Amino acid sequence: MIAARDLAQAQLDSTLGRTSPVLKLVIAMAWLVGLATTGAWGPPVVLAVVAVAAALTIGRVPPRDLARAVAPLWLAALGLAFFNTAFGLANADPAATTITTVGPWRVTQEAIQAGVGLGLRVVAIGAIGVLFALTTDSTRLVDALVQQARISERFAYGALAAYGAIPRFGSNLADLRAARRIRGLRGSWHPRILVGLLVLAIRHGDRMALAMDARAFGSGPRSRYRDVPWRWLDLVVAIGAAVTLGLALAAGR
Amino acid sequence: MRVPPGACLLVVGPSGSGKSTLGLAIAGLVPREIRSSMSGSLAVDGSETRGREPADLAARVGIVFQDPGSQLVMERVEDEVAFGLENRAWPPATMRERVPEAIAEAGLSGLERRRSNRLSGGQQQRLALAGVLAPRPGCLVLDEPSANLDPDGAAALFDRLRSLRDTRAATLVLIEHHVDDAWPLADLVLALDRDGSVIDVGTPDAVLARSGERMAVAGAWLPGPGSSGEPMRTARADPTRAEAVSPAVVAETRDLGFRYERGAPVLTDVDLTVGAGERLALVGANGSGKSTLGRLLLGLLRPDHGIVRLGGDDPARLPAAALARRAGLVFQDPESGFLTDRVADEVMLGLSDVERAAAPALMERLALPLEVFGHRSPYRLSGGEARRLSLACTLVRSPGLLVLDEPTFGQDRLGYASLVRILEEHVDRGAAVIAATHDRRFVADVATRVLTVVSGRVAR
Repeated sequence: MIAARDLAQAQLDSTLGRTSPVLKLVIAMAWLVGLATTGAWGPPVVLAVVAVAAALTIGRVPPRDLARAVAPLWLAALGLAFFNTAFGLANADPAATTITTVGPWRVTQEAIQAGVGLGLRVVAIGAIGVLFALTTDSTRLVDALVQQARISERFAYGALAAYGAIPRFGSNLADLRAARRIRGLRGSWHPRILVGLLVLAIRHGDRMALAMDARAFGSGPRSRYRDVPWRWLDLVVAIGAAVTLGLALAAGR
Repeated sequence: MRVPPGACLLVVGPSGSGKSTLGLAIAGLVPREIRSSMSGSLAVDGSETRGREPADLAARVGIVFQDPGSQLVMERVEDEVAFGLENRAWPPATMRERVPEAIAEAGLSGLERRRSNRLSGGQQQRLALAGVLAPRPGCLVLDEPSANLDPDGAAALFDRLRSLRDTRAATLVLIEHHVDDAWPLADLVLALDRDGSVIDVGTPDAVLARSGERMAVAGAWLPGPGSSGEPMRTARADPTRAEAVSPAVVAETRDLGFRYERGAPVLTDVDLTVGAGERLALVGANGSGKSTLGRLLLGLLRPDHGIVRLGGDDPARLPAAALARRAGLVFQDPESGFLTDRVADEVMLGLSDVERAAAPALMERLALPLEVFGHRSPYRLSGGEARRLSLACTLVRSPGLLVLDEPTFGQDRLGYASLVRILEEHVDRGAAVIAATHDRRFVADVATRVLTVVSGRVAR
């Protein structure tokens, strides 16, 4: 979900792509908090449907990319719903309403209510996260965090550089495992590999920091090549998101 | 010594002689950013580096490092070039004029919105240069900028450096092992010795005439044919030796194909047979699939289709211990294959007692004597030293097949000579060597056969 890196220009130019990343982050948080306040089925269904629809329309996310991004969490949600229904504590409660019994197993209405509710919430969380990740460029996110949310530049651009180094982990891991095997050592998950990864990550970080300092980073006030101003669009999106959350919570009553 | 404004100073010397440290000192990063002690005096623009604010120096001196991957900060080309300008608080309007200009100067026009990790190595290095040059520094330090580039990428980079020198816009400090390309650019040459002392300073011709011999003994590369001391061409000129008896097959592939997850094919239809005693060079641009082919041959990657045989077996299914006896790998980035904290532990890792006994002599021959280097951290070696350690780690088992990924990167002349000699002996004992390399000299000196890999296919 977070690893969705290469967004097409169409996504970046879409309505949601042009919306302030800080605002989108706030909306995502507000929706998640809203979800946490209710166990009903209605709110997560409404939010998930709106999130998916928004991603496909005003986010211009290709359906294939969207499906690939939500698939892992949605599968997990399915499993969660099933197990919480089948093995829910409510099934052992004599006061609960029995729906069906299979051999020694008893499935109650209360267990279904809770299990499916949990699964639906995970579905909604997945949809909201993917909506954010697939319409937000990381450079723009960092620019917005610095300019709109006033986060420290040193931290923000350092984090961006670190984020750019994530793919290195994969190749470093492959190298270290190959190195063990070709030197006749068994166990491709030896703890020493973690030490090696850490050493390589620290060394890469040192080199990046040196390169940044050599280019006068952190030497004083910076100017901005890319401006992320607040726009009317942001207000419209904010209102839309608030209305959606209100309707979703109303659907739970 | 003094370097006049607009001149080009070439710094040469064997690996570990302190060339990079000098570059870092001029850029003001030593001793301030990297903890160290510095004696004597170093002035840039007539004032001492020590007393100056790092920002002040960074505004005057730009530095380009060896590895493009660990000096590009931003995701996109345009943002990368703007980064240094933002840090110096250039007004946005001026930046918007200067950024496209700097991108055009680097020959990267049209790639403004491209992600820099999608560029070729040569383009990345020109981008790094563009980012450093955008604020128009008075002095530019280049620390082996062409070391990781294929011949085309290196040629384009040197074209760029030549035009920089000809405009005399910035004073250049160039640290390079590729002396044939670098020497013609130099107005001044500083030659360093193994211990970091100065052998000579002066105009290129004068230095070569006065101190050529001492530099050769110290291990520095010198320009031109024949000037690098003894000829290194080995016995390969004798074609009967390799071809006389049909050699035992060490490794082969049939119809080999490979792609990374969801990526484009890296290799297609590769049929390859490597016999004992063969020295095969794989050449081709960065990203053509040479390294991938090497790893497939060793079973470190599994092919998507086709078969790989190493001594008759599928190397991916061999137990690790058996694989290590049959084959060895020297990584392109040696650091990424280190598994211990001490050089001595690194070379001894996983060895039998017999092999352990052979290690000290081998290290001695590779100019890494255990008495001196044994207790050091493998990560604290110079580039050339790290590569030789990586070589020692596999050679010590005398594997039947040795796969080398760019074995000559960062090697000085002595390191190179010992590499060539040791490979020669290794092959004489019936082993095969496969080297992925950009180094034409190494191909000429070592290879009995050359295969060109073009976009994942082997061209004959």
